[in-house]
Amino acid sequence: MQLARSSPTNRLDYLTLGILGLGIIGVVWGFFAAMSSPPDQSQGYVARIFHLHVPMAWMAYAASFVALGYSVAYLVRRKAHHDRLAAATVEVGLIFMALTLLTGMLWARPTWGVYWDWEPRLTTTAILFAIYVGYVVVRGAIEDPELRAKAAAGVAILGAINVPISYMSVKWWRSLHQTQSIDLTTGKINVDAAILIPMLINLAAFTLVFIGLIRLRALIAAREAAREEA
Amino acid sequence: MQRILWLAWRDLVLEFRGRTGILSAVFFLAVMLFILAMAFGPSPQALRQAAPGVLWVALAFAGSLLAGRAFGLEVEDGTLDELLLTPGSREWIYFGKLLFQFTLLLGVGLALLGLTAGLFYLPMQSWPWYILTLLLGSLGYAAISTFYAGMLARLRGREVLLPLLLFPLVIPVVLAAVRLTQGLAEGLPIVELADWLRLLLVFDVVYVTLCAVIFPYMLEG
Repeated sequence: MQLARSSPTNRLDYLTLGILGLGIIGVVWGFFAAMSSPPDQSQGYVARIFHLHVPMAWMAYAASFVALGYSVAYLVRRKAHHDRLAAATVEVGLIFMALTLLTGMLWARPTWGVYWDWEPRLTTTAILFAIYVGYVVVRGAIEDPELRAKAAAGVAILGAINVPISYMSVKWWRSLHQTQSIDLTTGKINVDAAILIPMLINLAAFTLVFIGLIRLRALIAAREAAREEA
Repeated sequence: MQRILWLAWRDLVLEFRGRTGILSAVFFLAVMLFILAMAFGPSPQALRQAAPGVLWVALAFAGSLLAGRAFGLEVEDGTLDELLLTPGSREWIYFGKLLFQFTLLLGVGLALLGLTAGLFYLPMQSWPWYILTLLLGSLGYAAISTFYAGMLARLRGREVLLPLLLFPLVIPVVLAAVRLTQGLAEGLPIVELADWLRLLLVFDVVYVTLCAVIFPYMLEG
């Protein structure tokens, strides 16, 4: 078996490595910052998971929008490159979404008394998760690259509708889940500055890891495509 | 506009002449309702409580059975290409198929409503609202199912993929419809249920417009 020839379009570049490296350092730093943050008034040390949970959820939401953007770009321009990026984004986003659900469950157990509750925020996030799992399954099931890309784009575009609903669900239904820490619709910040800093460190670190992983995954996908063609 | 009606009419006629699809769906539903009625036990109280959920779960399953019918015949007979070759924009294909699916689903839904009213003691005092819920719910469901059915029409494993893609997306529609039906069954005034009605309406509008916009991209080529 011949390995895929690396070409300028699919060579592992220093930018990707640099972003990933910085991101990993940032995640470690962010973790320590989170673990050394002051305890919450009502929840105590448990609330430290907030520094991981919230940025992860943001990344998961961001992934949906990025995937939406690339999917629309694919449908308009028909560049295989956009399709690969959309797929990479969804896969990385799924990881973040799974982590969000997981940290959320770990947080819910001591504060709400249960791991899972069928309240709107959790339900809509679980739906979102199912939609993107469907995205990955569809990609796996379709052989023809063009049909695969089109179908996947359709799923990603329709799936992204549920992101704003999930985001606003805590407001619309006044659920068990606490409301947004930073309300993007009004720009109001609902948490103290001392707590905000570790979260922002984590947010920056996750963003770097997110971008790095997507670039890496897209490179791998590009090589796979190159080998299929050869 | 005329094309849309003709396309929907043709599909409906074919569906009723063929009978297999619609009959199997109705029969499937009846069996499903029997099983669910047995599962929830003989007490009318428990049955009445389960009725709204049963109604919509059954309709969702029936919808996934019927969804494949939207484009199944076109692909079998190779007429999909001819549809695509007709001059003009392609949105009308979507709307025609949507109308067909919607009518089919609505018919099945009405039959189902009667069955649940009989088998599960669903109180029918506010029946006009039930019909409205059914209308909006079927529309939202059909919007998504038609879109995916068209997208996957030429694919071999579509029977498996379709429900997998369909269900997560229609959950909001089904959820709102279930809540609405539940509230109506409990006899709540419609003002208290306005939120769910609005949600259902918003989803219908968003799904139908978005699907109609992307659909032409999905079919070409």
